[in-house]
Amino acid sequence: MISAPLLRVSAAPNRAAAVGAPFRLRATASPSSGSRPSNVRCAAPPPAAAAVASSAVSTAATPYDVLGLRAGATAREIKAAYRRLARERHPDVAPGAADDFVRLHDAYATLSDPDSRARYDRGAVAPAAGAAQRPRPGWGAARPRRRTWETDQCW
Amino acid sequence: MQPGSSASPLLLPPSTAFSPLHSPLRSRSHCNCSSPRLRRSIAKHRREVARAVTVAFAWPQMSEHFYTVASDSETTGEDKPQQSFPDVAIGIDIGTSKCSVAVWNGNQVELLKNTRNQKGMRSYVMFKDDTLSAGVTGAAARENGHEERDILSGSAIFNMKRLIGRMDTDEVVQASKSLPFLVQTLGIGVRPFIAALVNNMWRSTTPEEVLAIFLLELKALVEMHLKHPVRNAVLTIPVSFSRFQQTRIERACAMAGLHVLRLMPEPTAVALLYAQQQQQFMHDNMGSGIEKIALIFNMGAGYCDAAVAATAGGVSQIRALSGCTVGGEDILQNIMRHALPSFDSLYAGQTMDRIKSIGLLRIATQDAIHKLANQDTVEINVDLGNGHKVSKILDHSEFEQVNQAIFEKCENIINQCLIDAKLVPEDINDVILVGGCSKIPRIRSLVLGLCKKEISYKNIDALEAAVSGAALEGAIASGVTDSSGSLDLLTIQATPMNLGIRAGGDSFAAIIPRNTTVPARRDMLFTTTHDNQSEALIAVYEGEGERAEDNHLLGYFKITGIPAAPKETVEISVCMDIDASNVLRVFAGVVKPQGPAVPPFIEVRMPTLDDGHGWCGQALAKMYGKTLDLAVLPKKLQP
Repeated sequence: MISAPLLRVSAAPNRAAAVGAPFRLRATASPSSGSRPSNVRCAAPPPAAAAVASSAVSTAATPYDVLGLRAGATAREIKAAYRRLARERHPDVAPGAADDFVRLHDAYATLSDPDSRARYDRGAVAPAAGAAQRPRPGWGAARPRRRTWETDQCW
Repeated sequence: MQPGSSASPLLLPPSTAFSPLHSPLRSRSHCNCSSPRLRRSIAKHRREVARAVTVAFAWPQMSEHFYTVASDSETTGEDKPQQSFPDVAIGIDIGTSKCSVAVWNGNQVELLKNTRNQKGMRSYVMFKDDTLSAGVTGAAARENGHEERDILSGSAIFNMKRLIGRMDTDEVVQASKSLPFLVQTLGIGVRPFIAALVNNMWRSTTPEEVLAIFLLELKALVEMHLKHPVRNAVLTIPVSFSRFQQTRIERACAMAGLHVLRLMPEPTAVALLYAQQQQQFMHDNMGSGIEKIALIFNMGAGYCDAAVAATAGGVSQIRALSGCTVGGEDILQNIMRHALPSFDSLYAGQTMDRIKSIGLLRIATQDAIHKLANQDTVEINVDLGNGHKVSKILDHSEFEQVNQAIFEKCENIINQCLIDAKLVPEDINDVILVGGCSKIPRIRSLVLGLCKKEISYKNIDALEAAVSGAALEGAIASGVTDSSGSLDLLTIQATPMNLGIRAGGDSFAAIIPRNTTVPARRDMLFTTTHDNQSEALIAVYEGEGERAEDNHLLGYFKITGIPAAPKETVEISVCMDIDASNVLRVFAGVVKPQGPAVPPFIEVRMPTLDDGHGWCGQALAKMYGKTLDLAVLPKKLQP
């Protein structure tokens, strides 16, 4: 519970960094020649995206981010990513990480069912806009409100 | 302090060797009136076991805190005491009929045998004078051949797995009334009264106590084998066990000085074993996402379970679980009544004659059913005394006709499992048949037929699979790693039953639906049903019924101080959380309107109810059903 607010704090700058990276890259590349190493680091999107997804265990991330996948991932990739991450985040492996796993599983539940994935892909903008969190007393304060995926119990 | 790691074990006098066994009982002497007997039994055990193992079996400076038993509310708790001993949790399969125990020996799972060289030990406790003895050693039976007859003498309690945590209105309890020991019911939804015959007198006991005595003997067997004390255990349970029944198992374990690390639904333990085998077979494909779907069907003497598991790279995902309370015991009773149509009238009321006679019929019928698995017809021929004789030839078609209802239930749970897993028979790669009843030809053909398979999976022993899986889980949960990767496994469990609350009269609103992956957290919004309703009752149920009363009541509490508002305008959130230790917590409170006038949320760990599950729910509905009712907030009003 203590770690959750920390995660959210760290998620925000990470997201900003990811979004802002190309912009900063263009801005800094021409004036200073000594920034080459950082250029290289910023210019490689796949590792950067993966880092955001895995290190920050993003709270406001899309299901794709949570699984570390691109939007067009195949069903097999989704399953493989879920299993790989489950082996890292399941509370049996990482004690106390129940929230991480719940988030991972929610993402998987959304993407593994073709219908719910299609629904998500169509309305991907809407939940992001509605993600503004309602304040919740007690248990809710530490956690963002999750969508209640209707197909959650299906694999 | 790590007593077990000491290089030269100090030999203690026999009387102190088992003294830690006292502590769990002392610490919970409040828990029921019968614990003095248990203590006597332990004293006897201490003497016997100490005699047997004075040389081989002694623990250096065993301190009592070693066996401190968590209170009831802690038995599944996340605050697990630090292990001061490098021990690996043992795996226990408590069967209705037979019990087995296995341990991870460093390389593989090993099933332990008792002194009579049995891996499957009959599950019973014999009450004789002042001594108690369980089926682990079978010490109470005069000799091997007579064990079954002794068990049926009325002095032994068996089938405790069918009785534990059940109300006297339960049909399983009602069916247990034809057993040779006393099962008395009042039919009002309280626990049944059970008693064993000691010197022509019924002496009361409880299923928890019987199980505790059995587990104590089992624990002693394991400790003799391992030569060090055992504290943690993984037990398998039927899928249809309610959360209340799970707490009864935990209590029995606590009484025996065992800490429950996990309670695993039986087919999921089998799934874990399967996952291990698959991982070994396809070591090269690890992590490639090639998954195999297995349907596991487990039918023992008391329960019948099915599960669908998707396995790849050592990860076993439980995609669906279903179970019911039919088993070999029901088949046996059906055949007994079929062979002797006057069964119920003849055996109404227990007398010594009738108990003996019923025992003879039971043994003969059981024997016939076993034989029928391998031959076309079988003869039941038994003299029941008092001029009653049974002489009957039974063939397969008759056997199947008599047990038609049972086979239909088996079909239902398999179909349910496939539907819940959103699979068709063609998706299944392997069908795994386990449990004693999986030897019955009709059961085999039924399961394979539904899954459209010719043969079942071969590499799993039907009677040893569940306990082996439990021992694997025990090793994994104890943090044991294996260089060959054979413990590099993960089971992702699912809830076997819906969890929800009563709402809108007697309806049941499922908040966490069955087959939800655990850990899980779900919430649902409810609203008031009256203007200015200031209080609401949250009655938590578990089960498959559409009406709340058809399900198991786990507990209840009130939300008070709801701000005055017209009905259906207040929003009350009820959240259910199952954590990594499978503990259920319910959080509830008002979320709309907001403000300082709103009372704090309430967090309740479930189950809270100890007894009286039947009448309690009815009383609550009668007293508060209308005034403190809640309704599910219509979807259109939800944000």
